[in-house]
Amino acid sequence: MTIRHHPPADLLTSYAAGTLDLGDHIAVATHLSACPRCQAMAAALEHVGGAVLTGLPPMPMTDGALARVTARLDEPDRHSDHGNKDRAHPGHQDLGRTNRAPLDGVPGLPGFMRRYMAAPWIWVAPGVRMRPIQLPAASDSRVFLLQSRPRTKMLEHTHTGTELTCVLTGGFRHAAGDFGPGDFDWGDAEVRHDVTVAPSETCLCLVAMRGEVRLRGFWGALIQPFIRL
Amino acid sequence: MPADAEATPDNEDWSHAIAAVAAHRDRAAFARLFAHFAPLTKSLMRRSGLPESTADELAQETLLLVWRKASLFDPATAGASAWIFTIARNVRISAHRRGLAGALAELPDVDASFQPDDSPGPETRVATAQAGRRVRAALAKLSDAQRRVLELSFFEEKAHGDIARILQIPLGTVKSRARLAMSRMRELLDEFS
Ligand SMILES: [Zn+2]
Repeated sequence: MTIRHHPPADLLTSYAAGTLDLGDHIAVATHLSACPRCQAMAAALEHVGGAVLTGLPPMPMTDGALARVTARLDEPDRHSDHGNKDRAHPGHQDLGRTNRAPLDGVPGLPGFMRRYMAAPWIWVAPGVRMRPIQLPAASDSRVFLLQSRPRTKMLEHTHTGTELTCVLTGGFRHAAGDFGPGDFDWGDAEVRHDVTVAPSETCLCLVAMRGEVRLRGFWGALIQPFIRL
Repeated sequence: MPADAEATPDNEDWSHAIAAVAAHRDRAAFARLFAHFAPLTKSLMRRSGLPESTADELAQETLLLVWRKASLFDPATAGASAWIFTIARNVRISAHRRGLAGALAELPDVDASFQPDDSPGPETRVATAQAGRRVRAALAKLSDAQRRVLELSFFEEKAHGDIARILQIPLGTVKSRARLAMSRMRELLDEFS
């Protein structure tokens, strides 16, 4: 399986620098777990990060800092067991306690997401449904799984914010080309025409979205109130 | 400027110091690591806009994790400074996600919630060792100007406009240089693969 579509350079840099919003971070990490090429890029950028670190002017630590840390060296590492605590961020995209299920078993997600919880599937449009993911911390994006039946044609639409998508299974096609498992797609306020889901397989994507999807045209205006994206 | 990497007699020894911490919980080696990397880490934290006291605490937290995770350090894949950078980065992300509230001692395991894969298998480790060599070879081939632009783009608050001012080149040049540096690096990485 060849990956043909990668995240843009500035997203990878921000990923390595650690300055991405959580939702964007998840979308990029999902691509990375499928893409050795971008893993190498991220590793290279971490080396750049090492150079950044050693090139900074050192700032003196407070008095006794080393002693305070030394005193803690023998403490047991409370976090080494990875905890698996449900650390949902209060108030943020809170999906409620009922009907949530762990994402374990969804193919193509990065390891750390297996511990995240997701809501049940929600109908979006004929052949299309979504599953919101509860994030462990605040994010400007909503993150969800989007599933579409083969051959689904999405209505012409535009976004009010950015949308990052990573294909997990199946694929789709639009003006920028064919997208398959691992491929990364991003859109901003531009209009998307003719997104068509591949004919053979159900398409499953991870999506991190800011703002809303707006459908265009007469039918779009009619059904917009019913579309939950 | 106080001791930076070049001025330190054991410039090449940070990997060994981490290895000594891993192998025999060497506190003297840890103290040397602390003296060198804690002030740099604090500076990194300050750059990302944190107040001084928080920057100091997060630098301490980072070095504590260097002690705890020393056995995970693999000099074949990462340089010491790149490895410590990733720990510092994850500590900062974790603190940020917790809204900088509460006891800093209760930081969750940031690495577990950051890396695409939390437990690389043996084949992955071999692959990352090769990737490490590739990365170093590719970075060595970038021009100084390209490296500089990449380094500066690490700072969130440094919009490209600030970089343009620092490097005294037009804004358009910064953007195209950053783009070029990235695609050059991609080419080099592909070449070495
Ligand atoms: Zn990629």
